[in-house]
Amino acid sequence: MQNPIISFKNVKFSYPTSDGAVALNGVSFDVQKGEFVAILGHNGSGKSTLARLINGLLCADEGEITVLGLDVLKEENIAEVRKHAGIVFQNPDNQMVASIVEDDVAFGPENIGVEPEEIGKRIEWALSAVGMQKYRNSTPTRLSGGQKQRIAIAGVLAIKPQILILDESTAMLDPKGRAEVISVVKKLNEEEGMTVILITHFMEEALLADRAIVMNKGEIAMQGSPEYIFSHGEILETFNLCLPKISEISNDLQKVGMQISTVLHPEELALQIANNFKGSNAVAQTKKEENAQKIAPLENSNLSVNIQGLNYTYSSKSPFATKALNEVNLQIKEGDFFGIIGHTGSGKSTLVQHLNALIKLPQAEKGYKPKKLKKGETPPTMSQITVDEFNLGDKKCDFKRLRATVGMVFQYPEYQLFAETVFDDVAFGLKNFISNLSKEEVESAVKESLEMVGLNYEDVKDKSPFDLSGGQKRRVAIAGVIVTKPKILILDEPAAGLDPLGKREIMALLHKLHQSWCKTVIIVSHDMDEIADNCTACAVISSGEIKYCNTPKSVFANGDDLISLGLDSPLCAKICKILKENGVEIDCDYSSKDFTKKVINAYCGGDNNA
Amino acid sequence: MLKDVTFGQYYPTQSFIHKLDPRTKLLALITYIVMLFVANNYYSLLLCGVLLIAFIAAAKVPFKSVMRSVKGILFLLIFTAILNLFFHGGKTVLVEWGIIKIYLEGVTFTIFLMFRLFFLVMSSTILTLTTTPVNLTDGIETLLKPLTYIKFPVHELALVMSIALRFIPTLIDETNRIISAQKARGADFENGNLFKRVKAVIPILIPLLISAFRRAEELGDAMDARCYSSSKTRTKYKQLKFSVSDLISALIFLALIAGVILLNIYGEAIFPAIYPFIKV
Repeated sequence: MQNPIISFKNVKFSYPTSDGAVALNGVSFDVQKGEFVAILGHNGSGKSTLARLINGLLCADEGEITVLGLDVLKEENIAEVRKHAGIVFQNPDNQMVASIVEDDVAFGPENIGVEPEEIGKRIEWALSAVGMQKYRNSTPTRLSGGQKQRIAIAGVLAIKPQILILDESTAMLDPKGRAEVISVVKKLNEEEGMTVILITHFMEEALLADRAIVMNKGEIAMQGSPEYIFSHGEILETFNLCLPKISEISNDLQKVGMQISTVLHPEELALQIANNFKGSNAVAQTKKEENAQKIAPLENSNLSVNIQGLNYTYSSKSPFATKALNEVNLQIKEGDFFGIIGHTGSGKSTLVQHLNALIKLPQAEKGYKPKKLKKGETPPTMSQITVDEFNLGDKKCDFKRLRATVGMVFQYPEYQLFAETVFDDVAFGLKNFISNLSKEEVESAVKESLEMVGLNYEDVKDKSPFDLSGGQKRRVAIAGVIVTKPKILILDEPAAGLDPLGKREIMALLHKLHQSWCKTVIIVSHDMDEIADNCTACAVISSGEIKYCNTPKSVFANGDDLISLGLDSPLCAKICKILKENGVEIDCDYSSKDFTKKVINAYCGGDNNA
Repeated sequence: MLKDVTFGQYYPTQSFIHKLDPRTKLLALITYIVMLFVANNYYSLLLCGVLLIAFIAAAKVPFKSVMRSVKGILFLLIFTAILNLFFHGGKTVLVEWGIIKIYLEGVTFTIFLMFRLFFLVMSSTILTLTTTPVNLTDGIETLLKPLTYIKFPVHELALVMSIALRFIPTLIDETNRIISAQKARGADFENGNLFKRVKAVIPILIPLLISAFRRAEELGDAMDARCYSSSKTRTKYKQLKFSVSDLISALIFLALIAGVILLNIYGEAIFPAIYPFIKV
């Protein structure tokens, strides 16, 4: 066997600030040239430390690390190693040095002294390898997350490394961006023979790898082919990892005796399910012809949100004016767990910011005067928004009380923490809204709120919010919003950037809130599975217009249309579609729970009949 | 709050001036400003004004956006003008009001000074309107290159500028988000006395600073990983090149220098003074 391209022998490492806690405890592994290795592990398992040790950003305390035969622990080798082992980090924004794509890609080659003419060629090659040639002269800040991350990969490729390390490079991306990045990486591995180390907590991404290494508590807990790893779901859960949704479904189906092997692609799973039905002579349940209306008719029930004809234009008086919302009508019923779907730039953020008057309607602005009308002219129709009992078009509307009633949690809310203690931060909103509360009242409200989000009040109240773990910070930030017990809670990408377990916990928390404090919960998301699994109703917004507004079942029945809007359809909708082509129709609401249940019903029911 | 902040004032049109090498534009601006101060009568100042208008026209930028920058310092201009008007000495008294005397020479000089300052601001605006900040940084870096011989960290300075430019939009976005988030939690930035308002900034400032430090740290790692070291072997991908239009511009500005000096000396002789006070 040839010499491994990367070799770790009994490597130990602990962070100087960690009071002796070990980040890596005797890790040994080899990576061969051209191999695609996925390193899995929950937050804090030591997987990112591993990446930084490979190219000398960190220096091991003990053990041996060699990359291409060079000893990384020797200072003089580090510069050489970095030329051969490029690393792409988590946040695409924080890796770019220049304001123009080609300048940014040129940064690496410039550093190692490549001739200008050759740099030009490398930029061309690197950008085409990640499919971004068109954007050579663009500004990175205007691109989507997935595009930015592809630029970051190009920036590393331009140095012509032999090893590409991705350190949770997909964690902050939406599902579409994740797919883009992963397919680029896979292509580089197959076509350019690039050795790839993919560090991730998304199990789905490990499917493409030749080998997966599971890290737990600074040690290698498991190693093997992705299929091998995924057939050991129970063990993975003890390492705080979650199986991909598709494996969960197939495992559940296996339990009732269906002939299903460990599959990793929706097509395979669908075909295997279909085969099961053929074998058993079962007549699968036929789906009733339902009316998959694009927009559900308005029912006469209590509305939490009623938007009529909302228009909004950014920087309306400059040459850069862009229309963000166009004649938006949206009704959200009280008691709904509502999902708003749309990708970056679709106008969804602008829409939700109207709901608690962070963006006010023009007629509610202080200096607003209606235009003088000429004779015979009809007054222009104004946008109307009512949220709960508040009419947002009214200047006299009590906006402060509105904001206490409509809680808004922004994306990455933990980045807005500021106070010295968790208690002060949570109390901030409460004190702003209600000025004359007694100390006891504040204390009890903060306590209730922190306990609602699943934190122990006595443990955390005096801590600095910055000393908490990522997941805990997010909980504190949510506690700071729900402390006023808002009737309506709006969350922008509540699960963004969390690992699968964290996502699950946050969604569970939202359901708990929905059942207790907040009558209506609205989440903005681009994860279709999240919407299908959690929401009672949802709306799809694209280029500032509401394209669909109905139950997830009706909306996702239009899978192909969604894809043409640049969105995805949920996993179960994909499987159902293929099943239907194979003569099996499953009438489910496309949540994985309901899908599994209906398939099992059909299967067992069919067996009974036979 | 910060919605309408656009960094830099670059106005994208395809003009002859937009395409000039940033070095040419920088040197031309310096020459122009020096000439504004060399000009000592209305004739030479008029020449500067004509050239300025010609350049605004050639740059195809709306006159309004050039004037916007003047608006920003209008207060300063008026203040200087008033001071000059009251304290400039002279022979011919125009107005006498108690101890305040306004002389004809004072009026003449004030008008002259106003024009000079207007031209100065407007000419700098043309530079920023027609040059992207990135280009400008490149130009400054190349112009300062000789300073590396006296160990001046030119490259580092340029990199700092370029990173600052790169992160300004990101940080503005972030600031907007933080402001919205704290507003949603009932923070009030518009009402209250000065003390209250300053206090209200803390919930914005602290998250912003923390995020800036986090970004800096991550950026440092990313730069290290991309082999950054400020060694001498570093090359530069974008090489600035002078073209024919740069040569033409250089000739125009040489002509300006000659014109201003000639008019300074012979202006009155060529064009007999219409008013006795036109010489400043």
